[in-house]
Amino acid sequence: MSPLHLSFYSAFVLSRLGLAFHRTHLVSALLCLENIMLSMFVGLTMWPIENQTPSFTIVPIIILTFSACEAGTGLAILVASTRTHGSDHLHNLNLLQS
Amino acid sequence: MTYFVFFLGACFVIGILGVASNPSPYYGVVGLVLASVAGCGWLLSLGVSFVALVLFMVYLGGMLVVFVYSVALAAEPFPEAWGDWRVAGYAGALAAVVLVGLVLGGVVGSWGFGVVTVDSVGMFVVRLDFSGVAMLYSRGVGMFLVAGWGLLLTLFVVLELVRGLSRGAIRAV
Repeated sequence: MSPLHLSFYSAFVLSRLGLAFHRTHLVSALLCLENIMLSMFVGLTMWPIENQTPSFTIVPIIILTFSACEAGTGLAILVASTRTHGSDHLHNLNLLQS
Repeated sequence: MTYFVFFLGACFVIGILGVASNPSPYYGVVGLVLASVAGCGWLLSLGVSFVALVLFMVYLGGMLVVFVYSVALAAEPFPEAWGDWRVAGYAGALAAVVLVGLVLGGVVGSWGFGVVTVDSVGMFVVRLDFSGVAMLYSRGVGMFLVAGWGLLLTLFVVLELVRGLSRGAIRAV
């Protein structure tokens, strides 16, 4: 694997692991989600560079658009759950626990 | 020059590691800013300056600013930075997991060096990324309209989520 591919691949794996092993704050989990999108953006931009296909440059831009949508929705959920529970601690989201 | 691009790639991974170790969100945003700046510099070094600028303005200037304002919801009296033993332990464990995966995957043995750029001094008059993104408005107009519609829809989704007081999605009172 070329070192640049290794770079964004390991960034993707790291942020996925960071999302899985979340600790206290919901905002930290949302930040890891944003990192996933960032590493995907950089990886998708490598494709038109290496294959010299200009039309594929559209895909990172579209992904950035939908990532902005997802970030806005995630922050709205953060605000709504903070209003309900008083903080954004993840151990407060336990309504489904027995 | 090749090693400079690899250094930016390493800064990218270090910034992501700084966020994935889940410190207090105040410091996590610093890691995300470092990762975005390194990724932007990386794309600049490879020649796609337009996509790098889009990343800088939309991602750093738009989304991250909103995140930084929302981090105020995570206020706590003793925020944990990377010096805290819990966060440092997470960072070390994540780095160890990635390194073990690299060694087991046989990646470390076979490294191919080389960087491809899009400097078109020869045949091409228009740069690759400028002409590519411009195609979004001509050939990809359907996707452009779908993305715009999705953004408008997200606005209403966010408005409904934070409405509160009896019409909200998640509200106790």
